[in-house]
This record gives sequence, C-alpha cells and structure tokens, in this order.
Amino acid sequence: MAAAGPQAVSAPPSAAAPNPGKRKRSAKGKGGKSKKNKLARSDEPIRRRANKPSAKFLKLLKKRARDYNSDDDEEEGEEGEQQQKRERERPHRRRNDDHDDEEEGDLSEDDEDEAASSSGDEAGGGGGGVTRFEEGCRAFRVAFQKIMSKKLPDDPLGPILSAHKKLVAAKLAEEVEERKPKGEARKEKRAAAEKGHVLPKEHLETHDKELIKIATQGVVRLFNAVSKAQKPRNDLNPSSTRDAKGILCSSFLCYFWISRYRVAKIEASKSDASHYKAVIHYINLLLHIMHAGKDEDEPGWAPLRDTYMLGSKLKDWDKMKDTAVESEQTKAPLGDSSDEE
Amino acid sequence: MRHPKSGRGKRRGRGPRIPAAVLRKQQAAAPNVDQVTGAKIPKSFVFSRGKIPSTLRHLQQDLRKVMLPYTALNLKEKKRNNLKDFLNVAGPLGVTHFMILSNPKSLPHLRMAKTPQGPTYTFQIEEYALAADIANSQKRPRCPPGIFKNSPLVVLSGFTGHGEPYKSLVQYFQYMVPAIDPNTVKLSTCQRVLLLKYDKEKGIVDFRHYSIKLQPVGVSRKIRKLMQNNQVPDLRDLKDVSDYMTKAGYGSESEVDDEAATVSLVSDVDKLNRASRKSAVRLQEIGPRMTMRLVKVESGLCSGDVLYPVPVVKGEQTEEETEGQEAEDDESADGSEDEPEDGSQDDTEDE
Repeated sequence: MAAAGPQAVSAPPSAAAPNPGKRKRSAKGKGGKSKKNKLARSDEPIRRRANKPSAKFLKLLKKRARDYNSDDDEEEGEEGEQQQKRERERPHRRRNDDHDDEEEGDLSEDDEDEAASSSGDEAGGGGGGVTRFEEGCRAFRVAFQKIMSKKLPDDPLGPILSAHKKLVAAKLAEEVEERKPKGEARKEKRAAAEKGHVLPKEHLETHDKELIKIATQGVVRLFNAVSKAQKPRNDLNPSSTRDAKGILCSSFLCYFWISRYRVAKIEASKSDASHYKAVIHYINLLLHIMHAGKDEDEPGWAPLRDTYMLGSKLKDWDKMKDTAVESEQTKAPLGDSSDEE
Repeated sequence: MRHPKSGRGKRRGRGPRIPAAVLRKQQAAAPNVDQVTGAKIPKSFVFSRGKIPSTLRHLQQDLRKVMLPYTALNLKEKKRNNLKDFLNVAGPLGVTHFMILSNPKSLPHLRMAKTPQGPTYTFQIEEYALAADIANSQKRPRCPPGIFKNSPLVVLSGFTGHGEPYKSLVQYFQYMVPAIDPNTVKLSTCQRVLLLKYDKEKGIVDFRHYSIKLQPVGVSRKIRKLMQNNQVPDLRDLKDVSDYMTKAGYGSESEVDDEAATVSLVSDVDKLNRASRKSAVRLQEIGPRMTMRLVKVESGLCSGDVLYPVPVVKGEQTEEETEGQEAEDDESADGSEDEPEDGSQDDTEDE
C-alpha cells in the first residue's frame, strides 16, 4: 500500500467531480473500492426489506446481481469520471503488479504481458468487466502459485485429504480428551457409591478366624447352658415315683402302643384273624425300635414292662390257644410276656 | 332397602367381616409376646433415609434377613415418608427397633434406634460385604432358607469395661432379638449367630453373621452323608458293602475337632445330632459383614441430647476430657476433610 498512498493524495485534484460524496468515496481507497461500494449500498436494502419485501426488493436483488457481475462504476453513469478513474487505476495497477513481481519473483513474463494487453484493451474503451476479470485472474494466479509452490509430503492418500485428515485427527483427539473426564467422573461416582464395599477374600483371614472362634465359643457356652438347664429331665431315675411322672409324658407314645398291643393280642387269641397277627407284629417292631436306644432288655419303669398290670388270669388266657402267635413273639423280645412262665 | 341387602350378599361371600381396627389389634397383639416364656418379642424395621446406592440397598435387604423373622422383609419406603411415619406405624405393630441406613456425603451410616424414645446409636460403616459377596467367596456356601425361621443368637464380645456408650449398647444389642430361656429353648431353633465384637484398639465394632452347623463327633463323613442325603449310595465300583465304609474318601476331612467346639446335646436337633451325643459346632459365615465405628449416641430417636461423643462445654472440662476430646476432634476433622470432597462428588452426580 505504500504505492497507493501517494496515488490517493494525487487523486483528489484530478477528480474534480461535481459530486463531493463520490469523490470522497473514490479517495478513500483504491484496492477495496468495489467491495466498499457494495457494502455501502447493501445497507439500504436491508432497511427497506424490513418494510416491504416485495417486487421492488426482487428488482433490487437483480440489480445487485448485475452489479456484482459488472463494474460498479457503471452505476455512476458518468463516463468522464469513469475514464478518469480508469486512467488513474491503470498506472496504479501497473505499479502494483511490479510490486507483486518483486515480491514473488516467479511470476511469468507472459502473465504480465497479458495484464498489459488487457489494460491496453481497457484503455481502448473496452467493457468495464475486463478489469474485473483481470483482477480475478491475478488473484487466481497468485493463489494457484501458492498452492503449487507448496511442498507436500509423499503420502499415498494424496494432498487433497491432508487438511481433512488433520481435522479428523484433531476431532478425534478432542473426543478422547472429552471422554477422559467423563469416564473419570463415572469412575469417581461408582467409587463413591461403592465406598466401604469390600469384597471378601477367598481364604479366611486370621481376623475372621478369630471372630469365628469367638462366636463358636459363645454358641458352645449357650448350648452348654441349655443342656445344663434341661438335663435333669433326661437323668430321671425311673424307679422313683416322682421322676416317673416325667417319663410318663415323654414316653406316652410308647405306652399307647403297648396298650394297643395287648388289645390286639387278646383279639388275636379270640379269633384266629390274621389281621390282628399282622398288627401285633407291627407293634412289636415299633416297640422294639423305640426301645432300641436303651441297652436294657426290659425297661426299668414298670408300665413299660410287658408284665405290667397283667394278671395271672390273662396270662392263662393267652396260653390256652396261642401257638400260632408264638412264632412271631419269639422274634420280638418285648412280646415275650405272655409266653413266659 | 335394597342396597343394604345387596351389600350383605356381597359380604357373605367374603366370610366374616372383622372391623379393620380389631384386625389390626389382633395382628399386633398376637405375636408381640413369646408364647412359651411370655416375654415381649422385639421387632424391627430396617429402612433407609435419603438416596442410597444400590449396594447399600442390598445391604439393607441383607440386614432385614438378619433380623428375620420379627422384621418387615418387604418394607417399602417412599421418598416422602419421614421418620414420623415409621414411628406412627411402629406403635401399633409393636416395632421396637429401627435400623436406618443412610449415605450422607457418600459415607454409609447405620443408625440403630429404639422406638419410640431412643436412644439412637449412629455407626459409620467403614467396610461392608454383602451376603452375596460372601457366598461368592465360599466354595460351598450354606444358607438353607429354614435358618431364617428363627431369630439369631447374639454373641457380644469385648464390650464390657469400656464405659457408658458401650454399656448401653450391649443392652441394645441384647434386646434386639428375643431373649433365650435356657430352660425352654429348643436347640434345633438355634441356627444362626450374630456376632458383635468391639475392638478397643481400633475402636471398631465387627458385625458378623454365621450359620450354625452341628456335626456328630466320631462319625465318618460317609455315614454322615448317607444319613443326610437319604439316598442309596453309589456302590457300583465296590466289591463288598464294607468297602463303602473302609475305603478312604477325600483326604481333606477336617477331623481336627477341638474340644472347645463340642457340645453334648440334650435333645435331638436333627436326624444326625441325637440327644446325649457329642456334636461339634461349626460356623459358616452367611453375611452380611460390616465393620462399623460408633460415631454418635443421641438420647432421643435421631434427636435429643448427644451423649457421645461428650459435647464440649467451654470452661467446664478438665484436662483429661480435653485430651480425649482432641483425639475425637482429630478424627472428626479427618472425616470433615473427606466430606467436602465427597460433597463435591455428590454435586457432580446430581448434575
């Protein structure tokens, strides 16, 4: 822009235009002239649009499109000023081009020639769009030059995806970084929820063994206390009448079966029903089992003996016709009562 | 006139109608007293306050199983239930003990309270393992459902001689389950033990739950199995029946029955353990397992005067008290240091 500075200073006297506003605009800057014009204009339609979005607006849009495609200065409608401007622009552009050449150094001679010819055409009164094209062409050239001068790494994927690849990589990295705190937060949350939760080990630790020992001691102590408290009942002496009461309760079933046994025996002796024989046998077995725990052949307590309450008369009864039952009774020691004597 | 008739007809199908109040009274009154000894049966509620993580919820269920049968196994609490609701229900139902789990600042706490007057013992659960964890760690977990039909025996150890809070704690634990009368108790109903041991040095209370197994002494494993299984043994590979007995089984028979663990039974416990025979007491853990620290004792139900730790009253304390207090303060300070961190974690959770 060092070259543009003096140009701008020199411009005002040459552009002694009737419209001061336009002069001002032109004086403001040359490089971004068209852009600035457009911007200044674009403000107005926005204001209008708010009020009437109508055919007028469409028309304006069309106009703007036309403006974009063609030179801005056409709007001004003053040929003379245009000419002046072009004349003004031309040397400036030349100088600019030179400047570029100096900077980049590798601009081809042909390009310059082309630019020169185009400007020549312009000077010859050609269409205003040519200038624009020339400018765009130069920009494109510069951009292309830049791209081509880039040194690319030997990549099988080619240079086109390189930027994209970088983006993807950056995005992935970002995600990973995002995920990390998320996972950590979840872990922390779980840790907080599980605080104090300790999984027991497979083997028993010494501490736990001790605890089991203590608990076992406690249980043993209780069981011993219970056995101490409840023992007297089992140590009853059957011969004493006081203890007999206790036994009576405990061996009530035994007593019951004995009584049934006697009844069955009497019945069996009366009639030779095999049914009663079977009953007798069954009860015999039962009584045998119930008394199997006791070593003595005959229980010490009188009612449990088979001779209990059996008068001599009864015995005689049995003896009369009890040959069939005998065989069974010999098997069972408890059923011997009737055959004794 | 029709309406009452139809109403009566409907009711007839359902059976006799008992007023709800009477029914409730009957329900409440019937099992409140032990039918043999006439002693009052303590009952318990195990529930939680506030939001607790799922592992603690499992622990709660395990604790209920420990407190069976005199507890509400399927007690449901809602967010809007407050302590007063439970208290109101506890009265008519005869519930005497509360066990309240909570998780303030991500530190699990267990409050044991007596209703309706208190006191309340607040424990911080430092470590715990669920019953499922313990079953997983064992090769042969043993937990027959029948053992929960009777309340556990409570074995307390190490509590005596440590002053006031523990003295009353012993009482609390003792009356948590129905008292056992040695004269009438049946040994077959004693199937579980709840061990509570106070460790003076660490200041912690160990909470363990075991099942009791009785094994006849001097009976070989094969016979024991034969009696237990009620099945015909597999004799295919044997030439003689006697081989079944004489052939050595697994060598790992732990026949190291120490004398301390044997008891002579007075009544038949089961088929194997008959009266007037010696049996060995074997315990197997069924869980849950907890390691707790007593942090606070309040005189009321979750309220009232703080009995422990002894509140600091400036100017009145002696030097000894200050020392003790300082130690406790240090502990509490440690706890409070942990708390803000946990609190911030909580905040993140909520977000």
